[in-house]
Amino acid sequence: MRYMNLMLEYLKNYVKSRMTYRADFWIEVFSDLLQQGMNLVFILIVFQHTPLLGGWSQSEVIFVYGFFMVPYGVFSTFFNIWNFGERYIVKGEMDRVLTRPAHSLYQVLLENIDPPSLFGSFVGMIVMAVCWMDMGLALHAVDVLVFVVLVIGAVFIYGGIYTALSALSFYSDSPTGIVPLMYNIQNYGRYPVNIYNKLIRFVLTWLLPFAFVGIIPASYFLEPKEDDISRLALLTPVMGLIVFSIGLTIWNRGVKRYRGAGS
Amino acid sequence: MLAIDVKDLRKQFKVQKNRAGLGGAFKDLFKREYTEVTAVNDITFQIPQGEICGYIGENGAGKSTTIKMLTGILVPTSGELKVNGYVPHRDREKFVKGIGVVFGQRSQLWWDIGVIESFHLLRKVYNVPLNDFNRRLDQLVERLQLGELLNRPVRKLSLGQRMRCELVASLLHNPAIVFLDEPTIGLDIVVKTEIRDFLLEMNRQEGTTILLTTHDLQDIEALCSRVIMLDDGSIIYDGGLEELKTTWSKGREIQFQFGESMSVSRLEQLTHRLNVSWTRENEYTAKLFVPHEVNFSEAMGVVVGGANIRDIKIFETNTDDIVRGIYQTGSADAGGGQTEQPQAEAQQAGEKESVLS
Repeated sequence: MRYMNLMLEYLKNYVKSRMTYRADFWIEVFSDLLQQGMNLVFILIVFQHTPLLGGWSQSEVIFVYGFFMVPYGVFSTFFNIWNFGERYIVKGEMDRVLTRPAHSLYQVLLENIDPPSLFGSFVGMIVMAVCWMDMGLALHAVDVLVFVVLVIGAVFIYGGIYTALSALSFYSDSPTGIVPLMYNIQNYGRYPVNIYNKLIRFVLTWLLPFAFVGIIPASYFLEPKEDDISRLALLTPVMGLIVFSIGLTIWNRGVKRYRGAGS
Repeated sequence: MLAIDVKDLRKQFKVQKNRAGLGGAFKDLFKREYTEVTAVNDITFQIPQGEICGYIGENGAGKSTTIKMLTGILVPTSGELKVNGYVPHRDREKFVKGIGVVFGQRSQLWWDIGVIESFHLLRKVYNVPLNDFNRRLDQLVERLQLGELLNRPVRKLSLGQRMRCELVASLLHNPAIVFLDEPTIGLDIVVKTEIRDFLLEMNRQEGTTILLTTHDLQDIEALCSRVIMLDDGSIIYDGGLEELKTTWSKGREIQFQFGESMSVSRLEQLTHRLNVSWTRENEYTAKLFVPHEVNFSEAMGVVVGGANIRDIKIFETNTDDIVRGIYQTGSADAGGGQTEQPQAEAQQAGEKESVLS
């Protein structure tokens, strides 16, 4: 409850400080959406050459992409910590965070909150709705509920992985290479995993479970395929819980190793 | 009750060794070598409630590392530590509610929003009831004259204004212990004095325990009844400031202005029975250094009786000189007169003083 209150406070301050930089806000929204748009165009081009991708139709793949955009937008809003190592460890801002009475990760997340990314989520929902109608699927009330649960699970998977990655800065001086690497790997989770070989499929499902952010939960709403990964869809919240717990543990242990910067 | 109780506290850092050259860099890539650096080496001290204690030492002596352990930022390598009844790093979130921290070199406030917004955010973070908060804020704002600054964004404040706001920010939740890491760094004398007065008043009225590190010994002289001096991770002095001064000053300097031109050899002849030394400043003025073991009135008497004097000035060795002497020898164990600081240097220091005065 107190933490919810805190989040509102931080949001208010975000708005206050951003009001002065309004142009900045829209540029960020625009460039975010442009990037997503490029990815969609890529999917369309692929389907000019083949009617099916690993047994998935164009509408289905775009639907998956739309689904992916929703948790990704929420994740980007609340876990905008890609420069954590540089800002908090190298520059020593973690000192300040650690002298305040709230969980350190929560403070870091709130200080970097980035609401413009939520636009991506809205666009994702529109993309899903369009594909949904295109495929002529029926909409049940329970689908909406499941959707919300799956999105929350997916956000926690993403959050857990990136929390763990950020926490690496506590252990190593400059783990700079790993974040771009991860950024590339995460993209694979948006496409049908059965188009990859077994090893990559295994990694994306169980080790770096990016498949649980896109293709697996989205398949819950679609026609079952031959490998039927939709069976795994309801595991998404469980995976979210596990991955986030691991990330948080790595973080909490890392904080104990924090050594501060300079004087 | 003790506000701070530290026993055998130690902090070691692993520091990566960088081998020289390209070949060395390649070797580092595959097999790193580390050296252990002991930043704080088994220190023990206690600070009772309501005391203002100065924590001084050269750069890199381990002051900040100690402060960071005391405030729960760093986890000690070994030793026992109790601050305000808590083990800081273990119960961090509960513990920090009872302390205030100011890092002179780092801002606690949010850069883009008005000062008052930062304060309100801190109120939520510390969970201070609105009534208490308002009363406290009014008090502090009035005392530190922040009235018209409150609505400005932090980035538009001068350093002095910002530092006063930082102080308020660290005190809004009414902490029992306040840690100040170089609170007066880079400030002009007016703001420095204002901050010192304020801290002293707070200590008297509310019994707030204050531990501060500084390089400005005037802070220490104005505020602290006690000094802990750190060198290379170990405590080399812990006690009163007056004690430090009396045991550590090596002597006094007297500046004579003569009515006639005096050569050094003539002056030395006057005082040849005493273990004192002269430095000539110009034709008519010279300085006499009188160590404590030499009888002061005897030295004065000899000079006054043997020369035509127009003016006399006496310089007490100031804290800066004493502390510089200790830093240079790296130990406070050697007795006052026996520190190996060359005489010339002591006199040079004295000269600087005379220029200032």
